[in-house]
Amino acid sequence: MQGLKLALLLAACAGASACQHVEPWERNLLARPDMAWEVDDLAATQENHTYFSKEAAMPGGGVGGGGCGCN
Amino acid sequence: MHEKQQRRARTRRRAERRNAVREARRGRGTLAVLTTSALALIPGLAERATAQSQENGWSLQYGYSMYSEGSIAASKVSAGSRQRYDIDTHQFRLDAPIGSHISLGFDVAYEKMTGASPWLIEPNLAGDPVVVMTGASIVDARTDFLGSVTFVGEKSRTSLTGGASLEDDYTSINFGFGREKDFNEKASTFSWGVSFSTDESDPRATSFTPSPVKHKKKSGSFSMGLGQVIDRVSVAQTSIVLLYADGFLADPYKLVSSGGVNLVDRRPGTRTQVAWLTRYRRHIERAHGSFHADYQLNWDTWGLLANTVELGWHQELFRLFTLAPSVRYYSQSSADFYAPYFAAGLTAAQDASSDYRLSPYGAIAFKLRADVNVAELIKLPHARIGLQYEHYQSGGEFALSKVGTENPALVDFSVMMVTLKTGF
Repeated sequence: MQGLKLALLLAACAGASACQHVEPWERNLLARPDMAWEVDDLAATQENHTYFSKEAAMPGGGVGGGGCGCN
Repeated sequence: MHEKQQRRARTRRRAERRNAVREARRGRGTLAVLTTSALALIPGLAERATAQSQENGWSLQYGYSMYSEGSIAASKVSAGSRQRYDIDTHQFRLDAPIGSHISLGFDVAYEKMTGASPWLIEPNLAGDPVVVMTGASIVDARTDFLGSVTFVGEKSRTSLTGGASLEDDYTSINFGFGREKDFNEKASTFSWGVSFSTDESDPRATSFTPSPVKHKKKSGSFSMGLGQVIDRVSVAQTSIVLLYADGFLADPYKLVSSGGVNLVDRRPGTRTQVAWLTRYRRHIERAHGSFHADYQLNWDTWGLLANTVELGWHQELFRLFTLAPSVRYYSQSSADFYAPYFAAGLTAAQDASSDYRLSPYGAIAFKLRADVNVAELIKLPHARIGLQYEHYQSGGEFALSKVGTENPALVDFSVMMVTLKTGF
């Protein structure tokens, strides 16, 4: 439940400053590599596969590659 | 006058179209940030979408990782090897745009595993659970292939993927479809997708199951998400995934102990999982760095509830390096049919598992990542070297709720990873 509260708080904070109109030419900072959802997609794939093999949850909201994960 | 206005409108539309295509190909602007959002939820599409959104033309990536599990404490083992898994993984990825509206992608990953694995948990003389490990002689390998084609429109992307994961004793084939649509002047992106996989396990013979039988599993998922530009320095994304699996969902290499009698691990034949993922990114101009916050809630019909929070800071240094420390916290409850060991009288028809991955616990992971931009140095577009280290520690004491009896097979591990990337 604590985690859920944290998520709602994050969502509320995001919503509080919600959605200013940003012109396309003002979006250069959003296009920085360090603003990507995953800064390194190969590393993210590997991380998610590891969590998929070691934890009960779906990592990253999906299955990190196939395989049994039986170990 | 009217003609002039029409001409201007046509010119503007043509310019907008050109810009949209250029933007899509270069992966700049909001599109690049949001393209990875909800597709990242779909098995198979996640990695593909990320790569395609950030590339400028052809790109090639290679990754090598060394995964190493800590040895299990002698006091927690009653038999077998204490040396747990080591895994070496090689990953290759190629992205190839064909014209201005189609992009092809191809992934290959190969991993080799060696070491011992928890086999069974039984009570010792004091009644405390201890692990029977396998020998350290397990050697296994997995090869994973994934191909994709993405159709890029002015305000939408549509992806198809197909892949396979091959092991000596396990085969998985998967297909996926995903679509993204921009609206609100590309400040918002709605994504949805479906995927399907069919798996077959052909377990190796063990001393307990000398004549194992083949098993099958089918699973399908549906996901949707919304990405949103909040202001000129922050974006957020929220998405939900529903995954349904049907078939053999147990681990053929695990046993349970019931009053001193060993039985095979047995789990329900269906499982529905729901994941809700929310992410937030904010750039702090004065600090030349970006703050990352991810939260994920997982629930499933086996009684498991899990929370994951990850916070990170990406600091740019001298316009060449990015240093990114982050911390990840994870906590899960136990499955309804889990116990470290069972009282006498359990029958082979009852669901029962002592797998540490279904036990209640929490975990904390510290990561440090460095990215070096070498594009100028070697005169190749987007050339970059990434180094990453992670240390993961799990235990009952990290769980959100009090854990009565900790599973003795819980794992700690570390991962060292290097990734190379270049465009051409």
